Amino acid sequence: MSHRLPTPLPRFDRSLLRAAGLLVPFSERQDWCDSWQAELWHMHHHRRSRFASLRLSADVSYGLVLDALWLRAESWRRTFGGTPILCIASLFTLCSAVLLLAFLLNTGSHQLTGHFRAIIGRSLGAAPLVIFVAYATASPSHEAQNSRSRPFAWLNRKLFLVVKTLLVLLFTCLLSTDITHPLHKLFPLTADLIQVLAFVFFSLLALRWSFFDQEQRCKQCLRLLTTPARVGRPSRNLLEWNGTEQVCKQGHGTLSVPEIETSWHQYSQWIEQVSEAS
Amino acid sequence: MPSATPTRLSHSAALILKAISLGYRFGLDVMEVTGLPSGTVYPALRRLERDELVESKWEPEDEAFASNRPARRYYQVTRTGKAAALAATERYPLLARLLPEKQA
Repeated sequence: MSHRLPTPLPRFDRSLLRAAGLLVPFSERQDWCDSWQAELWHMHHHRRSRFASLRLSADVSYGLVLDALWLRAESWRRTFGGTPILCIASLFTLCSAVLLLAFLLNTGSHQLTGHFRAIIGRSLGAAPLVIFVAYATASPSHEAQNSRSRPFAWLNRKLFLVVKTLLVLLFTCLLSTDITHPLHKLFPLTADLIQVLAFVFFSLLALRWSFFDQEQRCKQCLRLLTTPARVGRPSRNLLEWNGTEQVCKQGHGTLSVPEIETSWHQYSQWIEQVSEAS
Repeated sequence: MPSATPTRLSHSAALILKAISLGYRFGLDVMEVTGLPSGTVYPALRRLERDELVESKWEPEDEAFASNRPARRYYQVTRTGKAAALAATERYPLLARLLPEKQA
C-alpha cells in the first residue's frame, strides 16, 4: 500500500529515499519507502532545537542507507546462502586474493613466470598423491534410501566436486608459494622443499574440508543442509538410532548421520523426500 | 521458525527489544529512549523481526489521518520476544533500570 503525507518531505530527503531505495530489493521497495517516508515526516514535525534537529536528520539519513543495505544483503543471503555458486565464488575470490599477493611479492613479470612454472610443476607432481590420500582417508559416502536415478544430479555433484577440488588445489599451491616467498631469496632449495611440504599439508586439510562439505550438501540441489537435530538416545546405541539429522531447506531430503558406526546403521543415510505427485 | 530456547542477544539488541516491550513502538522513539544511533536501531529491528522476536504492523491509516499525520509502521514484541527480553534482563540486569516505561 502507498501512504500519503499531509505535507511533502524536504527535497534532500526525497532524493535520498529515491537513491537508497534502489538498493532495496524490488519486492520490498514500496513498503520500505512508505516506512521511511513516515519516519522522516515524524522526525521533521517533532519539536526540537535546530542543532538537535540537524544532528538527528544526519543520523537518520545514515540509518536509512544502512537499513537499505541490510535489506539488500539479507536478500542476497536468502538467495545465495549455502548454494554451490557461493562456494565456488568464495574459493575463486580466495584464489584471486593469493594470486594478487603473489604478483605484489614478485616484482618482475619475467621472474614471476619462471618461478610459477617451477612451483606448478612440483605441485602437479604432488597433487595426485595428495588427492589419493585425501580420498582414501575420507569417510565413506552415504547410503541412499528412496533414491531414484537422477543422472543430471549425479553429474552436477561430480562436476561441483571436481571444480571445488581444482580451486582448492590452486589456492593451496598459491598460498604455499606466498608463505615461502620471503625465504626463497636466502635459501632457494630449502624454500622449495618447504613449499612442497606446505602445499601437501594445506591441500590435505583443504581436500578433507572439500569432501566434508560435499557430504553436508543436498544430493539434488547441492545447497548446504541445515537445522541439525539430535535424534535418539545415546544410552541405547545398540538398539536404536542415535545421531544427527540435517534437512535440505528446499525439501529434497534428510541426511541421517549416526553417532557411532555400530549403532543401527553403519554409514550416513540420505533419505530422499518422495513428493506425492511422483 | 522461533527457537525453543531463548535467543542470546547482543547488548544493543537486548536494549532495543526491552524498549519495544516497554511500549516504545516506533524506530524514532526507540532511538531517542535508548540513545543508540539509527544505523544500529533500524538494522537491529530488521534482525529482530527476521528472528520473529518482534513483529511490525501498519497503523490504521484513517486513525493517523484523523491526527493529520501519516501512518507509521510500529513494532510489538512476540511471545518468543517476551521470553528473549526476560532472558536478556537476567543477563543484563541494568537494562531494566536504563529504560523508563513509556507513558500512555
